[in-house]
Amino acid sequence: MKIAIFPPNSLILADLIERRGHEPLVLQKEIRKRVTDAEIDSPPLNITEEEPIKGLKYAAIEVPSGVRGRMAIFGPLIDAAEAAIIMEDAPFGFGCIGCARTNELSMFCLRKRGIPLLELHYPTTKEETMEVVNKINTFLDKLEKLEVSNG
Amino acid sequence: MSQEESSKFTRMIILGPTANISQTELVRKIHMMEIPLTIKSTCYGAVINGEEADVNKAVEEIRKLDPCNIFTKDRGFPPGDPRRCRAKRGGAREGFHQLEKEFELLGHISEALEHPKKVSLKKPGKISVDTFKKIAEESEK
Repeated sequence: MKIAIFPPNSLILADLIERRGHEPLVLQKEIRKRVTDAEIDSPPLNITEEEPIKGLKYAAIEVPSGVRGRMAIFGPLIDAAEAAIIMEDAPFGFGCIGCARTNELSMFCLRKRGIPLLELHYPTTKEETMEVVNKINTFLDKLEKLEVSNG
Repeated sequence: MSQEESSKFTRMIILGPTANISQTELVRKIHMMEIPLTIKSTCYGAVINGEEADVNKAVEEIRKLDPCNIFTKDRGFPPGDPRRCRAKRGGAREGFHQLEKEFELLGHISEALEHPKKVSLKKPGKISVDTFKKIAEESEK
């Protein structure tokens, strides 16, 4: 099952999902397409004027082009998701996930899709971390059962 | 960038704080697998780059070395890419700060993976007004 994660570049979430045999929809896969392109236009990322136009599918024209450009990368991942795990209040925000408004819009789009969703808070203590891991594993096991029952 | 390079995949192998192998051992073991990969030793573990099937095969084998303490993550940029490599940038790449933050939790995650527990995903429900009244009355006594 394809599972979208938020933050979309989280090591913890991507690793736990892979361990259970699912496919995490990570941001790096989209970034790879844009940085290893044979006809790279604008290093370091191959973001062209096409991206903010593609982003119009997710955000209105008056929304800043930075949000629309980011949504052109996040959007296909959200569209492809069959389930999602959102971890709120993550203490990092660099590069592509450094825009708070894009993050809000991405989470909104994931919630709006109506797919199985697990919402968590970023853990800070040992107890919280253990609970988060167990919750993610329980959620992933449930998805597996759902997949089997749907054939 | 050549067409050949653009079809390659990159993976970061991160050793947890309680891992029973070191970065050097890890790199040596990856070399011993005899899979056609570019391997880069790093402070957190290693970065491997190669064809998708080779990378996936290597990740599978690497996980077997210490299942609960070895973590892996996809990476968009190839290893040593001048746009991201700290040698050219003059400072840690953005992803490193995130990795540093997530690394703080890896020890607890390893422990949770070693000792899994069943938990409920149900959110605690709201109590009824009558129950709340009872509790309020009892606390007043």
